[in-house]
Amino acid sequence: MKTKWYFFILIIIIVSVLLNNFINHREDTPTKIGVIMMGNSRVEKLTGLKKGIRELGYKEDAIEYVVKNALDNEKTLNEKIDELIKEKPALIVTMGGIETLALKEKMEEQKVKIPVVFAGVAAPKEIGIIKDYRSPGGFFTGINNYHTSLSGKRLELLHQLVPSAKRFFVLYDKENKVSVLSLENTIDAAKSLALPVIPVNISDPKFTEFLSGNIQQDDALLMVPGFRMESLTEKIAKIIKENKIPAMGVYGNEVEEGILASYGSSFEEQGYQAARYVSRILQGNSPADLPVELPDTIHFFINTKVKDELGIELNSEITNLAEFIKPDREGAK
Amino acid sequence: MDGKIRNWLSSQPIRIKVLVFGIIMSIIPLLLTSYYYYSNVKADLENRILANQKLVIQNLSSEIELEFNQTFRQLQMATTLKQQGKQQSIFYDLLQQNESIEEIVITDDAGYIQKKVSRYNLNIPLKNEKWFSDSFWSDFQSKSKTYGKVEFNQFGQPIVKVMIPFIEDGKQKGIGAIIQLQKIIGKISSLRQEDSSYLYLLDKDGKVIAHQDYSQLWKKHPYPADRDVLGVQTKISDLGWTLVMEQPASTAYEPINHMFRNGLYVAAIATIIVSLISVYAGLYFTTPIIYLEKGMNNLKTGRKPAPILLNRQDELGKLAESFNEMSSELQEKSLRLEQEKERLSVVVDGIEAGLALVTKDYKVTWMNPLLQIWIHNQDVHLPCFTLLGGKKEACEDCPITCPELDANGNSIMKTKGENGEERIFNHRVFPLNHAMNGEGEFLIVIEDITEQKQIEEKMIQTDKLTALGLMASSFAHEVNNPLATINVFAEDLIDRLEQKDTELDEEEMALYLAKIKENTERCKRITSNLLNFSRKSNWTVTHIDVNETITNSIHLVESTLKKKQIKLTTELPHDLPVLFGDSLKMMQVIVNLINNAIDAVEKAGQLMITAKVEQNSVCIQVIDNGYGIAPEVLGKIFDPFYTTKPVGKGTGLGLSVCYGIIEEFGGTIQVESIEAAGTTVTVRIPIKKSEWE
Repeated sequence: MKTKWYFFILIIIIVSVLLNNFINHREDTPTKIGVIMMGNSRVEKLTGLKKGIRELGYKEDAIEYVVKNALDNEKTLNEKIDELIKEKPALIVTMGGIETLALKEKMEEQKVKIPVVFAGVAAPKEIGIIKDYRSPGGFFTGINNYHTSLSGKRLELLHQLVPSAKRFFVLYDKENKVSVLSLENTIDAAKSLALPVIPVNISDPKFTEFLSGNIQQDDALLMVPGFRMESLTEKIAKIIKENKIPAMGVYGNEVEEGILASYGSSFEEQGYQAARYVSRILQGNSPADLPVELPDTIHFFINTKVKDELGIELNSEITNLAEFIKPDREGAK
Repeated sequence: MDGKIRNWLSSQPIRIKVLVFGIIMSIIPLLLTSYYYYSNVKADLENRILANQKLVIQNLSSEIELEFNQTFRQLQMATTLKQQGKQQSIFYDLLQQNESIEEIVITDDAGYIQKKVSRYNLNIPLKNEKWFSDSFWSDFQSKSKTYGKVEFNQFGQPIVKVMIPFIEDGKQKGIGAIIQLQKIIGKISSLRQEDSSYLYLLDKDGKVIAHQDYSQLWKKHPYPADRDVLGVQTKISDLGWTLVMEQPASTAYEPINHMFRNGLYVAAIATIIVSLISVYAGLYFTTPIIYLEKGMNNLKTGRKPAPILLNRQDELGKLAESFNEMSSELQEKSLRLEQEKERLSVVVDGIEAGLALVTKDYKVTWMNPLLQIWIHNQDVHLPCFTLLGGKKEACEDCPITCPELDANGNSIMKTKGENGEERIFNHRVFPLNHAMNGEGEFLIVIEDITEQKQIEEKMIQTDKLTALGLMASSFAHEVNNPLATINVFAEDLIDRLEQKDTELDEEEMALYLAKIKENTERCKRITSNLLNFSRKSNWTVTHIDVNETITNSIHLVESTLKKKQIKLTTELPHDLPVLFGDSLKMMQVIVNLINNAIDAVEKAGQLMITAKVEQNSVCIQVIDNGYGIAPEVLGKIFDPFYTTKPVGKGTGLGLSVCYGIIEEFGGTIQVESIEAAGTTVTVRIPIKKSEWE
């Protein structure tokens, strides 16, 4: 009979503990979110992602970020992806097109089913990551940063910004699908705008020599999206500075490093926007049902210091759209 | 179900019932109170939320209208500045100022795009690129500001075209913009405070054209019909759209749900506390009952229960105390009962009598081992009169048949033993007052008195022979006298015949022979009487003439009386009734009593024998005036072998045998004596009514 009483009291204690847990919604185990990035240039996306997650109400200890950085080494990327998959995260956030493509390949190879949010990929449908923008289908969804489609617009903006430019060197990465697509978009636009473009493959180690040997006065330089381009920003800025030619990039950080202007969404905002997808998937939505979004904002940055160094005049009509970097020296709009 | 619960509850011990009662009494008031407050607060909260949402949505719809109006104003301003030659600059400025504008165009009087500035695409219009749909163009012709239908761009984002006309060079041209609705929704969403609610726009047909949650925009069925939301909506009159604000009930009611959960938590804690109190109360109230139950079980199984020690003075304490006393008393009584049972068992098994329990229907329910042996383990299902008496019908004088009979059915039964010898049993029936119905309401006691009877017979015979021995000289003298007379007459007759006495005639000879015959008959009567008395016989029932029996008895002792010169007087009425029984046995009693009287009186003493009827009995008294019996001896005179007579004069069996014989007659014998004055022995033999009549 005593056993009966002990059993009864034990049940009451267990129910109390369960009830207490239920009421307090305690989650002792943090949710594991995997992050894969090609290099340090994409750290800002992670910063934006964390900021977005935080602002969506997730507590710091509720999320555990497992970050794998390939440090701009393509060979390391696959290893990092394998490491990340072994960690069995609840979902993976990829920081760009090359990471997303490599992860997709690995997941299909290993038959892994983990939801993936890409925090900014140019033309995800065109490179085969998703089937459709409205209904992505598989395990992938995220932000289409529109950077491929904006490539032609960049050429137009560069031409309008520096009307004196007669020839346009287009830097692209032949080994990067997104970059090649962007080049095609640029060439199409150039035809419409009747502007001569000279494609320069940056995966060719001699591209700097090519540029240095061919750049003339009234030439301009256009950078199309690609992870290698991001890692070579400093090098390209140096060439630009040496040759004193106006250039148009994609991201604000490129402008900060010495490129005249950029037109595109920022890394941090892409990461911030991707946080919404992370939250929806953690709430139980399937990535297949979450339509791919465009970037909330497209920024047009101009480095006034570079403009001054180049000694060129910018078309004042178009600068109304721009945001100026180093406004303390040059004066903001 | 209800029955099952009731059955379950009724089968539970009291402590469970107390616990269940405690829990129910704690939970029900809590739940009722919580439910009351939950329902009222919920309704109030719902009203507040809806009121707040209405206020907010009206502001937001105004914001949308304002947004569009501002766009129109900006476009209007652009037309003015355009004429000042700053067209492109103005357009880029507009794109910078208004993020929801995707593209700005100027159309010619035919509706073709003349100039455009796009945020995403090239600013080069296609050749003869038309910007208007037919209905849009029609509206544009007649209205100062025109809205196109909601369309979707290449990425599936909802857009709406707006256009205002302006006159240039005398022609009506248009300046318009493509507005991204998602951007507008996003912008006005940021104006709100409440995070859990969401906004969306419906067109005139009820189709979702913009949604705060981008993923919901593309769903075929964005919301299930049975979704549980609190929502308000308002019309945007210029556009014909409906702005909807909804908040999932789960988040709307979160505060009260949170409160309710906390209430449940408190209820759970209260339940636990009350349960523990109930457990304590249940144990406090039921532990003594459990102890009592255990004690009762121990008592039932015959074990000695430990005393229940409760340090309390309430009813349960007193009950436990009473139980301890009762248990102790019961134990003692049980022990005594066991002892009694053991003794009884020893007695029943060891007694030289057969015992049987018999019901009112003469059914034998139990027999002791001896009786079972006696009846040779016959079929016990037979009625008692058949099983024990060998009869076909119940005995008439049995108390079972006639309960009104006072007697215990005392009777003698005779059966044949294993070797064919006759066995005599005494049979008595006793009604049991506390017997269970059907278990045997009567106890039958059967005693084997065969040996006793044989001893009694031997004693009687011994006594008889003793009496004869004692009377032998008297008998010899009694016989000797007539023999001497016969001898005298015979010798005289022989002498006179030898002498041929002539005087001896026939008459005289006949006298001689008559004398011889008379004395011979006298001898014959004496010897016959003696033989009759000395005959060994069993109890033989015959008609007894009391007077004749007394007379015959007197004849036996007549010579002794004469010898001691005792004067005998008798009072024997002629109308005495005839008794049933053995006359010889009665004669033996009377002879014994007369002999005792003769021994008690001196020479020339007096002896009186009377007989009379007295209260359905024949009363025979033998009265002497001898030296009587000392009072201290009087109590022992019926004991066998007790005698006060000198050695050789008595065996001590006389009165003992008399007592046995009179008891056989169903009568009594009473001795009254006064020392030195005499003794009166009174024998009463009952007369059966039929015999009397």
